[in-house]
Amino acid sequence: MIKEPESLLLCYHCGEPCDTETIHIAEKNFCCQGCKTVYEILNKVELCDYYTLEKNPGLSQKTQIRADKFAFLDDDILQTKLIHYKDATQSHVSFYLPQMHCSSCIWLLEHLGKLDEHIIRSQVNFLKKEVSVVFNHQDTSLRKVTELLTTIGYEPHFSLNNLTDKKTKTYDKSRIYKIGITGFCFGNIMLLSFPEYFSLGNMEEKGLQQLFSYLILLLSLPVFFYGASGFFISAWKSLQQKTLNIDAPIAIAILITFGRSLYEILSQTGAGYLDSMTGIVFFMLIGRFFQDKTYNTMAFNRDYTSYFPLGVTLLDEGGKEKQIPVSNLKTGQRIKVHSGEIIPADCILFLGKGTIDYSFVSGEALPIEKHIGEIIYAGGKQTGGALELEVVKDVSQSYLTQLWNNDAFIKKEDKSESYIHSVSKYFTFVLFSIAAASAIYWYVNDALRIWNAVTSVLIVACPCALLLSATFTNGNMLRILQKYGFYARNAGVIEQISEADTIVFDKTGTITQQGDSAIIFKGMPLDAETIQLIRSLTGQSSHPLSKAIVQSLPFCKLLPVKNYEEVAGLGIKGIVLGQEILMGSPEFILGRKISTDNGSRVYLKINNQLPGYYSVQTNYRQGLPDLLKKLQQQYKIALLSGDNDSEQLKLKELFNSDLLFNQSPQDKLNYIKALQSKGKKVIMTGDGLNDAGALKQSNVGIAVTDNINNFSPACDVIMDGNGFSYFDALLDYCKQNKLIINISFVISIAYNLIGLYFAVQGQLKPVIAAILMPISSISIVLFTTGMSSLLSFKLKHRVSKLPQNSKN
Amino acid sequence: MSVIFILISASLLIALGFLIAFIWSVKTNQYEDDYTPSVRILFENDVKQPEEEQHLKK
Amino acid sequence: MELQKFQYDNKTVKWFAYATMFWGIVGMLAGLLAALQLCIPALNMELPYTTFGRVRPIHTNAVIFAFVGNGIFMGVYYSLQRLLKARMFSDFLSKVHFFGWQLIIVLAAISLALGKTTGKEYAELEWPIDILITIVWVVFGWNMFGTIIRRRERHLYVAIWFYIATFVTIAMLHIVNSIEIPVSFWKSYSWYAGVQDALVQWWYGHNAVAFFLTTPYLGLMYYFLPKAANRPVYSYRLSIIHFWSLIFIYIWAGPHHLLYTSVPDWAQSLGVVFSIMLIAPSWGGMINGLLTLRGAWDKVREDVVLKFLVVAVTAYGMATFEGPMLSLKSVSAIAHYTDWIVAHVHVGALGWNGFMTFGILYWLIPKLFRVDLYSKKLANMHFWIGTLGIVLYAVPMYWSGIMQSLMWKEFTPEGQLKWQFMDTVTKMIPFYATRAIGGTLYLTGALFMVYNLIKTIKIGSFLANENAEAPALEKVYSTHGKEHWHRWIERKPVQMMIVSLVVVAIGGIIEFVPTFLVKSNIPTIASVKPYTPLELHGRDIYVREGCYTCHSQMIRPFRSETARYGEYSKAGEFVYDHPFQWGSKRTGPDLARLGGKYPDSWHYNHMLDPTSMSPGSIMPSYPWLFDDQIDVSSTVAKIKAMKRLGVPYPENYENIAAADMEKQAKLIAANLNKDGISILPDREVVALIAYLQRLGTDIKNETKKDTLK
Repeated sequence: MIKEPESLLLCYHCGEPCDTETIHIAEKNFCCQGCKTVYEILNKVELCDYYTLEKNPGLSQKTQIRADKFAFLDDDILQTKLIHYKDATQSHVSFYLPQMHCSSCIWLLEHLGKLDEHIIRSQVNFLKKEVSVVFNHQDTSLRKVTELLTTIGYEPHFSLNNLTDKKTKTYDKSRIYKIGITGFCFGNIMLLSFPEYFSLGNMEEKGLQQLFSYLILLLSLPVFFYGASGFFISAWKSLQQKTLNIDAPIAIAILITFGRSLYEILSQTGAGYLDSMTGIVFFMLIGRFFQDKTYNTMAFNRDYTSYFPLGVTLLDEGGKEKQIPVSNLKTGQRIKVHSGEIIPADCILFLGKGTIDYSFVSGEALPIEKHIGEIIYAGGKQTGGALELEVVKDVSQSYLTQLWNNDAFIKKEDKSESYIHSVSKYFTFVLFSIAAASAIYWYVNDALRIWNAVTSVLIVACPCALLLSATFTNGNMLRILQKYGFYARNAGVIEQISEADTIVFDKTGTITQQGDSAIIFKGMPLDAETIQLIRSLTGQSSHPLSKAIVQSLPFCKLLPVKNYEEVAGLGIKGIVLGQEILMGSPEFILGRKISTDNGSRVYLKINNQLPGYYSVQTNYRQGLPDLLKKLQQQYKIALLSGDNDSEQLKLKELFNSDLLFNQSPQDKLNYIKALQSKGKKVIMTGDGLNDAGALKQSNVGIAVTDNINNFSPACDVIMDGNGFSYFDALLDYCKQNKLIINISFVISIAYNLIGLYFAVQGQLKPVIAAILMPISSISIVLFTTGMSSLLSFKLKHRVSKLPQNSKN
Repeated sequence: MSVIFILISASLLIALGFLIAFIWSVKTNQYEDDYTPSVRILFENDVKQPEEEQHLKK
Repeated sequence: MELQKFQYDNKTVKWFAYATMFWGIVGMLAGLLAALQLCIPALNMELPYTTFGRVRPIHTNAVIFAFVGNGIFMGVYYSLQRLLKARMFSDFLSKVHFFGWQLIIVLAAISLALGKTTGKEYAELEWPIDILITIVWVVFGWNMFGTIIRRRERHLYVAIWFYIATFVTIAMLHIVNSIEIPVSFWKSYSWYAGVQDALVQWWYGHNAVAFFLTTPYLGLMYYFLPKAANRPVYSYRLSIIHFWSLIFIYIWAGPHHLLYTSVPDWAQSLGVVFSIMLIAPSWGGMINGLLTLRGAWDKVREDVVLKFLVVAVTAYGMATFEGPMLSLKSVSAIAHYTDWIVAHVHVGALGWNGFMTFGILYWLIPKLFRVDLYSKKLANMHFWIGTLGIVLYAVPMYWSGIMQSLMWKEFTPEGQLKWQFMDTVTKMIPFYATRAIGGTLYLTGALFMVYNLIKTIKIGSFLANENAEAPALEKVYSTHGKEHWHRWIERKPVQMMIVSLVVVAIGGIIEFVPTFLVKSNIPTIASVKPYTPLELHGRDIYVREGCYTCHSQMIRPFRSETARYGEYSKAGEFVYDHPFQWGSKRTGPDLARLGGKYPDSWHYNHMLDPTSMSPGSIMPSYPWLFDDQIDVSSTVAKIKAMKRLGVPYPENYENIAAADMEKQAKLIAANLNKDGISILPDREVVALIAYLQRLGTDIKNETKKDTLK
């Protein structure tokens, strides 16, 4: 009687199958008490539209949250850090809710006022997964609000880093103003230039033309002084550093154009080229805006603080528990760490048995046991029962966090200047020589036209098209890559990737899937009944191995377990249907250690019989072998693992190159340094805090994660784990970037030459400039975006061939 | 074509007005969130309508 | 401070909905009558009130300002309240707005039927109504911005921006274009003359289309399409870009209505370029609308509301693509003055505006009356009949338009024009007939809807005041200490802008107009003289009877036109034309050079019975012109008004004008007498003949003089 259909009831709240107990109220089924309570809360205040907007919008509430978990939010200093506006009655605070996922969430979170009348207003920013709450702090408190959110299934995410940065993550407005204002001026200048273009000078009413040219001048001022300011500044900076970036020639062009136009209009000798000037500035601003894509939910420079918890349970002399912010933690203090919590600082184990999961910190796949008196390093996650610890080092001084004192973290953000800047050097040089040449020529022939010719040359030769080609190519590539779960920090990263020649992999969580492991039962075959017994027992435990085993078993109803007991670090036992089952390590079942070559074993004992054991081995991401084959053709490959060498043999087959095990974070960083000193350009792919140093040091640090909203260490790229199987395709695509830019560069040169043809003769009519400018700009934009989209078809094709691609 | 003066000035005025409006809307974070509002408008008002409300049919 | 309770005002919405339905039917009936009159001239019924020249303005004004207008207000009053989580600012203003608008419509219908018209297309209403419109429009704005200020939702949804744009721009367009100098309570002359008037008129004409028929409906689309489909708009960001780019471009596209006319080249090209540029934002909106339904096309198959909306958006896409194409000089050369334009306009009107309105009504009425639609089947029938109607309307008009244009331009090998104008007219009749059938179908569909909705209303129970609740806006705070500034701008953002705009606009205009216009009214062609009092009266009759709805007075510089009508028109010829009468459609031939072409008696008989002079003509006859007397009492006022507009009549001419007029009238009467026609010189037809005989003659005189020299 396994898998009887009725057991596949879905929870009305979270839509998960109702395993153990199925609770029925009002013809609705719930998988657990948690889900039921949420429903009841909403039902009481008539917020059940929540369930009508989307089907089963909630998240499973199986894991209960401790009552006093958020007590630390009562701390005043902490509140002032979290609350970003406060007056006599109101407090404004915004929470980050990773669980937010559908329109039901938005609806519910914007109706918090109904759940707590002291919440004045709550507004969601879905893309940021943020809800900003205004509450009356005389009648309710930050803690109460947080707990309310938690009870309805949206536990706010707090971390140390909430204290560090000042929540000023708003987009750059000035850039939008610039585009708006420049666009406005450009449009109207175009309009006012029409008489000039079409009745070509001899307009019936001079007065009209006068007024127009002055209006144009007026309109061009905000563009020149505000819109284009960015280019002048950056050009000036580059000159100060004795280099020529692309903005230099652009700035010159703008300057000259404006100057000459000013002269022509005021002296009434011509109409000037302000229409072209404003147009160029407008297009370039658009380009810059298009290129600087920002991802709402992702942060590319997280440090350990956003991984560490915000609150911790302190034990005072009397042994009473008290919630305090981690930041207030001092050495010598006694703390309590519950199951599933993170160790905030290096401590000595004082009471309880440590089963610490370091997979994220050091890369060890399986939890490590810690005994009383041993040192436990910060960052690990306790998976067994609660622990009592004594702090031996400050949070910032602990073994793990020291890594951030490394100079790799001090060095400035941008790793190398974009290559179009280097191109533009030559460009500028050529430009000036042409200008000089024409100057000389006219000096010989017709000195009066020098001024005219030279200025025209500088005007038409503005490398704006070149800049556009870079910005639009990169911008479009960023967007396309994003579609494939490859989120680059900025455009420069793409160029970096296209130059890389070495790829270094981290093992746990990077080439292996977090928590996904191959589980084979070795021994006598098990019948359905037994499997149900095993599933029921392991279903009770939160130990990673138990979890892994449960996942591996076919779905079936969980049976009640009598006198269940979890011997931390050893195993679990209990009585199901009157049969006693024990599962756990060799010494727990057999009473003796067994050294295993790779992976680990969970032995099974039913009524004192030994049917066999589960062998648990970590799984590599699908498609890894042929991925590596492909990559090894183009790149030097290396593997750095923080884990022991238990899987060496297996990995040898895959990597015909460096394999380094038991690597400390510092070791990894040094390894990258060493490569770079040999002139290598290194891509580092990692996931954990232990890779942070290496990621930072490398030319391109790619953090692989199975949920892009989870924590990922500082890096240049955040890559969705699914992307791993077509990693090479992604890299290839990035390499195309230069090709496109070069071709469009040629195109833009072509336009410049046409312009020059008129310019050197000193007869550049405004209308010619005005026609050339938009045509060149637009054709470049179309070409680059079109080309980059076209080349992405290969990538698309590759992805579509994947067995399961969850990509959209 | 002096009437052009009127048309241009009138049109410019309007355009200018909208430019101001544009700046205002950016300044007051109108466009800080360019997704949620589109979902928000879909939510129907879910307040109970007391039946004794006047049933004046047309 | 917990949730604030308030109520949505559904009553005003309901009223506007009813008005929309009622005026929709009325307007379409008028349209149908006009359509039929073109193939069955007898339907003009020899009555002044029912001649095509007066029915057509009634039709256009009814469908635009009554049907679509009320539709806009219905949608705005419903969506605005819900988008801002606030009741309309003032129930009183809502009432004033509703009844004021209906009053305007009624007055318009009557005055137009009575021939009280300024003779400027889509702005035919006389000055008292213009003022009334201004007032009611301000009331609307006041009510809207009041609501915006009192809103409980900080973010202004994109739809609201479209509403704001509509309000501001229409206000300006209406004021600028309606500057006119009253002669009597029901008669005024446009302040501008000839080319200038034309430019202003089409700057208005185009933008009226843009900001009355498009932007508000885009706003409605952005609200009702997502609501009906119950899914957010495809890309909200795109919709924001859509709005701002549209707003910055739209205003400039006007002059493309005057290609090849006497408007200066650059102004024409300006119109062309900006019209082309318009494709981008327009299509941005269409794509955004259609993509909203991606993956939900099954819904569209079920839901009749979505069907209407989808067709509407598609029609919008077609119209906004065709528009710029038509603004290309080469295309315009063919399409202008023909039925092509009529087809283009109606794809927009019937498809975009009509179907959008129907869709909204089908969605809204059941909601307001808290009941399901009475009959989905009937609604579906409406949809299909309506669509078929649009096709049957548009296709023959495109066809006939192109055909007629080509016939006009066709030459024999000997270089003679191949076709008499009359040939091209008779060829049109069958197409006019099919068009009328299409119109009938469309109207029938609309009638189905009205029936369907009335039934729905009967079974439903209306909720006049819908309870709602929302938290009040908490005060803004800013992290960078610019607090007071924020607060200030937050409190009075938009209406500040409006006030300043209106003030400056009015101020600027008052300042501009006299200085420039008087100056520019100095004739540029010596031989062009002001109209004689009689001709002036005749011209006013010409305007009154809406001759411009079928006859152009603008010969474009094409061989085909100069060969048919004579020397092409010069800007200088129109300097005394208040208003200009270039027209936009040639159902009949151009009249710019009619003067002296035929004897007075020809005109006399032609007015009495057109077919007698030109067999096959579909022009109505104007018997009343032969009984009614010229309104001599107004002569002085008219001359005075003209002088104030800068028309160079001699000093104190108004005093001798009457005498002059009588002299000229007698002359014409005598002239007619020679051909055995006896008519009293004080009849209107005499004045009209005087005007027609004057048309385009000034330049002929000039050329004569040249030959004498």
